[in-house]
Amino acid sequence: MEVLERLLNVTLVIATIRTTAPILLVALGGSFTTKAGIFNIGLEGQMLVGAFFAVIGTIATGSPWLGVLCGIAAALTLALIFALLVVSFKANEVVVGLALNILAGGLTVSLMKAIFGTRGSIFGHGLVGLPALKLPNVKDLGWFGQMISGYTPLVYAAFILVPVLILFYNRTRLGLYIRVVGEKPEAAEALGISITRIRYVSSLLCGLLAGLAGAHLALGYTTMFTENMSSGRGFMAVAILIFSNGDPLKILLGCLLFGFSDALSLRLQTLGISSYLVLAVPYLVALFALFALSYRSRPRVIQETLASMGRALSVKSNTIKPAAATDASKP
Amino acid sequence: MSDRFDSLFGQTLAILFALGLGALVILTVDESPVRVFLTLLNGAFGSPERIAGTLLQTTPILICGIAACISFRGGLFNIGIEGQLFMGGFWATWVGFSFNLPPALHLLLAMAAAVIAGMAWIAIPAFFRARYKTNEVVSTILANYVAILFTSYLTINWFKRSGGQSETPPIFESAYLPELFSFSRLNWGLIIGLALAVGVYLFFTRTARGYAVSEMGANPKFAEYGGIDIKKQTFLVLIASGAVGGLAGGVEALGVHHRFMEGFAPGFGFDGVIAALLANGNPIGTIFTALFFGALRSGSLLLEVDTTASREIITVIQALIILAVSAQITIRRKASDSTAGERRWKF
Repeated sequence: MEVLERLLNVTLVIATIRTTAPILLVALGGSFTTKAGIFNIGLEGQMLVGAFFAVIGTIATGSPWLGVLCGIAAALTLALIFALLVVSFKANEVVVGLALNILAGGLTVSLMKAIFGTRGSIFGHGLVGLPALKLPNVKDLGWFGQMISGYTPLVYAAFILVPVLILFYNRTRLGLYIRVVGEKPEAAEALGISITRIRYVSSLLCGLLAGLAGAHLALGYTTMFTENMSSGRGFMAVAILIFSNGDPLKILLGCLLFGFSDALSLRLQTLGISSYLVLAVPYLVALFALFALSYRSRPRVIQETLASMGRALSVKSNTIKPAAATDASKP
Repeated sequence: MSDRFDSLFGQTLAILFALGLGALVILTVDESPVRVFLTLLNGAFGSPERIAGTLLQTTPILICGIAACISFRGGLFNIGIEGQLFMGGFWATWVGFSFNLPPALHLLLAMAAAVIAGMAWIAIPAFFRARYKTNEVVSTILANYVAILFTSYLTINWFKRSGGQSETPPIFESAYLPELFSFSRLNWGLIIGLALAVGVYLFFTRTARGYAVSEMGANPKFAEYGGIDIKKQTFLVLIASGAVGGLAGGVEALGVHHRFMEGFAPGFGFDGVIAALLANGNPIGTIFTALFFGALRSGSLLLEVDTTASREIITVIQALIILAVSAQITIRRKASDSTAGERRWKF
């Protein structure tokens, strides 16, 4: 009982919120590409360059906010290359994504060595993190106030983005277009939506949030850059995207599961369990969730989405010209 | 014939383009590209020892590359070769130091342990891919992280050499993979790799089974109508790929390190995947691409000594080459046929 009490309390909730934020940001980014029908394994690399250039930008300008912008710009660059190769050149998305991840890993270490003469990690050099946000009047709320106040701004941004994205997909034209392009490219073509343009926009929106996730990792979650600091979060995000099918609410649930397992595993370390086993917990949770959910949810998700698209578009599939279907990159 | 020449020409052009981009990257880190390339070349081929060193680096990349080729041929992505290599390396070492057996038998059993470990490590992702189409790219990548942490855990918490670093006790000499020359750790692993490349090539080009796998890779629907049991074949292809990945770890452990330690063979699995991609899934081609990457790796050791560039610059060059080639392949396909946009990879 005492063990349980040590493991489960308000600080665990706070730790969960902290560990959830980076993966939530990157997974929400991936929701754009997932919804647009692109399998984006390159999230990991976009997050990594985001973190690196956020640190570089902060050291160069002295302002963590300008650092965040630098991180976003770097991730957007990678996202643009991804879109160029995958959308325009129709290169294999797995190959391009993996290559960009490798590029990100090599580039950040090479530049780290060239700029700082060291390898491993960057801290100091006048590096400042994003300030923690103290919400007003939370003292009256007791433990709940404790729970919702004192995080860095991007933590709030991550959680606020969940309802924003739900509205985006359901209430805006661009959101609808992205879904149509992903689920029924032939219908999109028939409606005169440019698949290429929508996929570019989705890739860039994805890069934006992945860069933000990286910046948060380096300036909010910690205040440093370390070699390969994204440590598989981008891949876990892809696992979440597979079983959530890119739906923001399901992404939130999946990310909370990971954040919780991450926070809990950090606790387990204090109980004397080997850190190697503890560090493997989030990956094992990701694998387990992937295996357990991928086959059960799949058919239902397809049915649901087809039904909702049918309602949203009122386009019957038999009215689509066969000529349009041949050019669709997704069967 | 002209088609093949065309493809080779395009591939070379893409690599040159990537090297050009790599030169730009080297300029941004304040080094002379010419000096970096010359240092790489000197480090890779400058003396018999260095050539042997290059071949030593080539060996695991080649075997991992063949593992990747097997899965690519079947239209599957085994990106978990790194993890299979770690598991194979650990369990081969375990057999190597736990038992004291007659020489040939000991080596054989240790190799078998590596192969079984590799197969076991991919079995679950392979089962779910075959049965429920669970995306194997993500599951095998995530399994890598678990494998690396798990083998470290076993090494440090259970089998740590007393008084030593974070490593297991050394294996008995009866489990050593014999060396080829006296002046280098280069060993029979290279011969195993070359034989495997030829064997896998012949399997895919000369046997009905191999043809069925290629068929599944090229057009799974068609293969299914043709009466191929896709589920069973998917499982077997991934298991075979995992077995070779495990073997790569066994070769590295029994031939080079003679023990298992933290950070054992970093990145060979990924290099193998890239080498196989660059060779377009052809095992014979992979011999050359693995040699290319082995030379880059071995040359990069001198790079850190002689220049200010870091050895990770070669990772950048590798990635640029893959990006250039991936675009180039599709450009060519676009020009030649109408199914340019067809991609099998999706959720």
